[in-house]
Parts: sequence; C-alpha cells; structure tokens
Amino acid sequence: MADEPLIQVKNLKKSFGNHEVLTDINFNVQAGEVVSIIGRSGSGKSTLLRNINLLETPTGGDILFHGKSILGEDVKLSTYRAKVGMVFQSFNLFNNMTVLQNVMVPQQTVLKRDAAAAKTHALELLKQVGMDPFIAAKPDQLSGGQEQRVAIARAEAMDPEVLLFDEPTSALDPEMVDDVLNTMTALAHTGLTMIIVTHEMAFARDVSDRVIFMNNGIIAESGTPDQIFGNPQQTATKEFLKRYLNRV
Amino acid sequence: MKKHWVARLGVLGLALSLLLGGFAAKPVNAASDDNTFKVGMEAGYAPFNWTQNTDANHAVKIQGSHEYANGYDVQIARKVAKALHKKVVVVKTSWDGLPPALTSGKIDAIIAGMSPTPDRRKTIDFTNPYYISNLTMVVRKDSKYAKAKSIADFKGAKVTAQLSTYHYQAINQIKGVVKEPAMNDFPAMRVALESGTIDGYVSEVPEGITAERANPNLMYIHFAKGQGFKTDASDTNLAIGLRKNDPNKAKINELLATISNKERARLMNEAVDNQPSTEKSGNWFMAIMKQYGPMLLRGTGMTLLLALVGTLVGFIIGLLVGIIRTIPKPKKLGQRGLRAVINWLLSLYIEVFRGTPMIVQAAVLYYGAAQAWHLNMDRTTAALLIVSINTGAYISEIIRGGIISVDEGQFEAASALGMTHLQTMMKVILPQAVRNSLPAVTNEFIVNIKDTSVLSVISVSELFFSGETIAGQSFQFFHTYLIVSGIYLIMTFTISRLFRLIEKHLDGPKDYNVMNNQMQVETPKIGTES
Ligand SMILES: Nc1ncnc2c1ncn2[C@@H]1O[C@H](COP(=O)(O)OP(=O)(O)OP(=O)(O)O)[C@@H](O)[C@H]1O
Ligand SMILES: [Mg+2]
Repeated sequence: MADEPLIQVKNLKKSFGNHEVLTDINFNVQAGEVVSIIGRSGSGKSTLLRNINLLETPTGGDILFHGKSILGEDVKLSTYRAKVGMVFQSFNLFNNMTVLQNVMVPQQTVLKRDAAAAKTHALELLKQVGMDPFIAAKPDQLSGGQEQRVAIARAEAMDPEVLLFDEPTSALDPEMVDDVLNTMTALAHTGLTMIIVTHEMAFARDVSDRVIFMNNGIIAESGTPDQIFGNPQQTATKEFLKRYLNRV
Repeated sequence: MKKHWVARLGVLGLALSLLLGGFAAKPVNAASDDNTFKVGMEAGYAPFNWTQNTDANHAVKIQGSHEYANGYDVQIARKVAKALHKKVVVVKTSWDGLPPALTSGKIDAIIAGMSPTPDRRKTIDFTNPYYISNLTMVVRKDSKYAKAKSIADFKGAKVTAQLSTYHYQAINQIKGVVKEPAMNDFPAMRVALESGTIDGYVSEVPEGITAERANPNLMYIHFAKGQGFKTDASDTNLAIGLRKNDPNKAKINELLATISNKERARLMNEAVDNQPSTEKSGNWFMAIMKQYGPMLLRGTGMTLLLALVGTLVGFIIGLLVGIIRTIPKPKKLGQRGLRAVINWLLSLYIEVFRGTPMIVQAAVLYYGAAQAWHLNMDRTTAALLIVSINTGAYISEIIRGGIISVDEGQFEAASALGMTHLQTMMKVILPQAVRNSLPAVTNEFIVNIKDTSVLSVISVSELFFSGETIAGQSFQFFHTYLIVSGIYLIMTFTISRLFRLIEKHLDGPKDYNVMNNQMQVETPKIGTES
C-alpha cells in the first residue's frame, strides 16, 4: 500500500427530505492533490463540499480523514474543521471585525495561539494575498475580490491540511476574478491539498491534478484535466463542456 | 370621601384585589412582629395626609425615606398607635397599592382618607368613622348667603362644584338653584367666588376651612341639623381600614369613641393650618422647585436607578436567553429533550412577562409573595427585580430577532473555521446582533423611564409618584405635571442622544483611507521577521 489517501469519500448519500441530492459518491483525494469539481448547477457540488466539511450531515456512507471516519462519536468537530478549511462563494467575512481581526481571531479562539503569533501569521498571509494595506478596513469597505482574498488568508491562517473552495469567484466582477484565481494558483503551487468547485474551466484545466464531473448526484466522470477537457468519454460531460466552451 | 381624580385606577385596583383575593384565604398575621404600627397612606392628599421635609408639628417619619408625613390622618394614626402601645410608622403607598399592602401584611392599617364602600368591605374591614366629611357651601362673607342655615336658602344662587365629583351632583338638591358649569380645581372656584361670577361652591368641610384660612373674604356655611345636603355615608365617612378579623378592631373603635367631634374639628383645623401651601406670588416654577425640588430630585434619581438597572440587567438576561434559545439542536436524544424543556420554560417566561402588565407583576411579587409565603422583600429590591425580569423578557425577543437577522453565512464561516457555538456567538454573532438591536434596546430604556411609574403601587417613590404627591398637596396639578413632564423629556432625550453616540462609535469611521493605514502597517513590522 502506497500513500494512504488524505480523504476518502465512500458511498456518500445526502437527501433533503425526499429529495436525494447525492446518490452515491466515491472518490479519494491524496495529500497535495488539487481536485476540481465541475458540473451543472444543482448537480450537488456544494452539497458534496458541505458534507466533507460537515456543515451538512451525510444521510449515508462514510467520509474518512487520514483513514479514520469523521462521523464517529469521538471525533472533535472543531479540530477537524480547523484542519479542513472552507472558502465560500459569498466570502462570509465577519462583518464586526477588521480585516486583521478576521484573520487573527479564529487562530486565537480555535487554535489558542497568542495574539502576537496570530498577528505575525495573519500579516504574513495578508501580504501574500496583497491585502496588507487594508488590515484596518471593515469588510463592507472592501470590494468582492478583496474580501475573497482576505477570506482565503483567513482559511490559510488555520494551517489547514485541506482547503475547500465553493465557487470562490462566482460572485465577483470579471476584472476581480483574476486576482483571486492568481492567489489560488499560488496556493496550489505550495503543495496544499485543495478541492475546488468551479465554473472557471481554464483555471480547472491549468491548475488541477484531477477533474471530477458531477451529474445528478453522482460522479459521472473523472480524470486528468487532459482526459476530461481533451477527450471526455460520457455524453453528459461532452454536452456540459460544449456549452461552456462555446460560451467562453 | 371618594377620590374623584383617581377613579381611572378603579378598574386596576379591582383587578389587583381579585388577583390577590386568591391568596387572601390564608390569614396573614400582623405585619409588624416588632412593636411598630405600620400605617399606609399616599402622603399626598392634604389636609388628610401629605409629605413634608421636616418632623415639624408632630410629623411621622416615612419608612425608608428622608421625608415625613403629616396631616389629619397622621395625627389619628399617632393616637391609635399610642392606644395600642406601639410606635407609629408611615408607609407611603399609592392608592391602588393600599388594599393589597394591607391584606398581604405589609402594613397594619390604612388611614388615608378612605371611605368604607361596600366594594372595599369585601376584602378589608373598617373601623367606625374617624372623620365625617360633610358637604358645605363656601360663600363670600359679605354676601347675602353668608347667613344661610339651610340649602334652601340658596334658591336663585349661582352655584358650582368640582368636576366629576358627587359634590356637583349634590347641587341638584337645592330647589331653584342656578347650576353653573363644573370647575376643575378649588383655586379656580375661589377666584370665581371672589369675583362674583358665582355665589358659592359646594365642597367638603376641610376645603371650607382651607378656603377660610386662605382668603379672609370667604367663609363656609354651618348648616343647621337636617338642613344640609343629604349624603351617603359611603361618601362622607372616613374609616380606618384593617385586615379582616383584626383583633385590634374593638380597641381602636373604643379609642375613636373617645375622640369627640369637637376634638376632631380641632385636629382638622390644625391640619389645615399646617398643610404645606405653595406660594401663589412670584414665579410658579421657582415656588414649586423651592419647596419640592429635593423631592423631585429623589424621584428622578429613583426613576433613573430603576430604568438603568432594569435595562442593564434585562439586557444581560436577554443576551443569555437569546444565546440559549439559538443553540443548535443536539444530536443525542436525552440532550434534545432537556433542550426542549428549557426552551419551553424560556418561552413561558417571555410570554408571561410580556403578556401581563408590570403593575400586576410588581403587586404579585411584592404583596403576593408576602401573603403566600411570608416572604418579605425590600421594596426597592422588589422593584429592581421586577423591572429587570420584565425588561429581560422583551430584550430576549429583541436579541433573538437580532441573532436571526445576522446573515447565515456568518454562522457557517465560523463553524467551518472550527469555532464552537459559544465562540461563534461571543465573537461573531452577538456583536452584530447587539449592534442591530441597539435602537430597540434604547427604546426599552426609554419605555422603562416612563413605565416604572407603575411601581408606586409597591410604595416606590419614583418621579411620577413624587409628582402625584406634590400635585395632591399643592393642588397645582397643571404646573406640577408640566415640570414632571419636562424632567421625563430631559431624561429620555438625553438617553436617546447618548445611545446614538454609542451606535456611531460602534460603527467606526465611515470611510477607509488606504494611505492612512499603510502607515499603520509599517509600524508593527512583525510580518517580515518570520
Ligand atoms: N439545505 C437544503 N435543503 C433542501 N434542498 C437543498 C439544500 N441545499 C441544497 N439543496 C438542493 O440540493 C440540490 C443541489 O444543490 P447544490 O447547492 O449542491 O448544487 P450545486 O451543484 O452546488 O449548484 P450550483 O452550481 O448552482 O451552486 C439542489 O436541487 C438544491 O435545491
Ligand atoms: Mg453550489
């Protein structure tokens, strides 16, 4: 047995009432891998990410982290979530805090870092995403692209093993998308494990190690970017990509 | 004597006595285990009872205050206490608070110019009358009516009386009288009489004496026996209210029998002489402030204390309840059950305290607890407790609304970062919820400033009760309440301004200047070291 996968998703099911959104999801993510998830609106991409982060509770199947189920009674939710960060489509910066506090406070409360260490770390990361001139600003004084870069710094500050991105650029004006994508590309090159739900096909092709195409609550097809974008096997994948590539 | 100007409170009084009637089955023993005789009165109904600043003229200290009570009722109370070999203490209580204070044992007797009406007899006992306040007619000394001996002598006279009193109804007993429109207060009637607009006005004897003393041109008529107004005993008799089956009733009646009519008249004359009079000359504002400034100040202080503590403690209660009610559903069945029970209790608390008037809550807590469990609370403590719990119920809902209105994404981001519910609440949600709730909390504060006035029912002398006292004994209703309104307005205005400033401060500067903040980044220089 080579490397044990960092995350294993096994027969994952999720229903909201009678509405089964995820029917049977199986995939592994290796440490250091960058995986993109693409698919039609409503196919269950966000739901999948939210299950991995346990913002939603799976109705069936299992999710293993370092080979251990995260659904067990003995798993401490806050520790797990600190290791599996999430970046949202709507940024969700804490409105009552400044940029610096947004990045510092979670470190202090969850990881119990002292203020000085948290601040050093926060400033370093904010500088990396180019937001250091704005440390004293409140979220509502920033543009969407700036907010998202702060949100990425905030997630990074927890020193996560995996970062989940749910359409991080969908809410942004086109001219700001690149700022955020560049930040993510730089992150990918650091060797961080990333699972990215995105509609940015070019980005998925250039940055990912693997692309997963979701359709109707299952993984319809997965493979390297070259396989999925260059030579898709399933008709659903072909149709989906054709529509997207025509648009671009 | 009926308290004409408090008729509005009758309904409330009835509600209270019904409510407390439930407790009444249980006999309450004497309020005072010690050797005191506690007498309840408003201390604001001259010449029967009033509040003064010194112990002059055998005044009696008002319990828990720096002020003294005096008046006809107080002098009677002193005699009664002496006969019972006890020390007299005055408990200043609003009119509505008197019956529950008596039945719950907070006081031993009501001597407050109260008439033994059949309604009141249902809940409390009365002694024989200690004063009979007959109707008289006040006239000019130099007029032809000065020698009148019978109401029939007023045929053709222009007569009036105070608005909405039985005095005014009594005018109908005079054949051929010219009934003038009713007037608002005695000072106005005295002026009208002196100027000749009217020939006389009907009042009770104490006002007749007062008028005589105040204006040497006026006098009141001593009607011959059987020639005066026909009145109902429940209007004219004043008696001492006691708890049912009070063993001292016989002893008190014995004592009252020894006080002759002549002695009673003497006591009343003395009371009229000693009653506080507000200077009519000069600036009315300065006159009231000079005489009653300290009382108004103390009342204002009490009102502020109640509103401030009530809002502050209520706010803390509201926060706690708000947090508890928004805890996410736990997974374990047992915990879920516990949570359901707690939530049910909390909503019960909110419904009960929002759904009932604060005056009833105060009476139940203060009088009801004393009656049912002999739990004797300090009245200020009870008042603070009630305002706090009551405000807490309102603010719980305000905070809950504030929490709900915080964007769902804030919760998700905090959870995704690994924060616990408590951490999420403390660091992220509550600061935003509190900020959003501030205008509503300010509103609660202002409501508290005004609504704590009902706490006079449990003898708390806040601003409105002080105003009532002053108006009742100076007879300057309009001017007194004008001043009181002014004080209320100053308080509420200041508070709303203050909270606006706090809101502004919490919001921070409106715009963000990158250039300014770049310098701030330069200073820490921590980022580059690691
Ligand atoms: N909390 C919920 N309750 C009920 N139904 C839900 C809930 N969340 C998602 N769904 C449903 O699950 C389905 C998949 O939603 P999901 O958000 O996962 O889609 P998606 O692939 O992320 O779409 P998009 O690209 O538009 O974001 C949708 O039909 C949606 O209505
Ligand atoms: Mg989605």
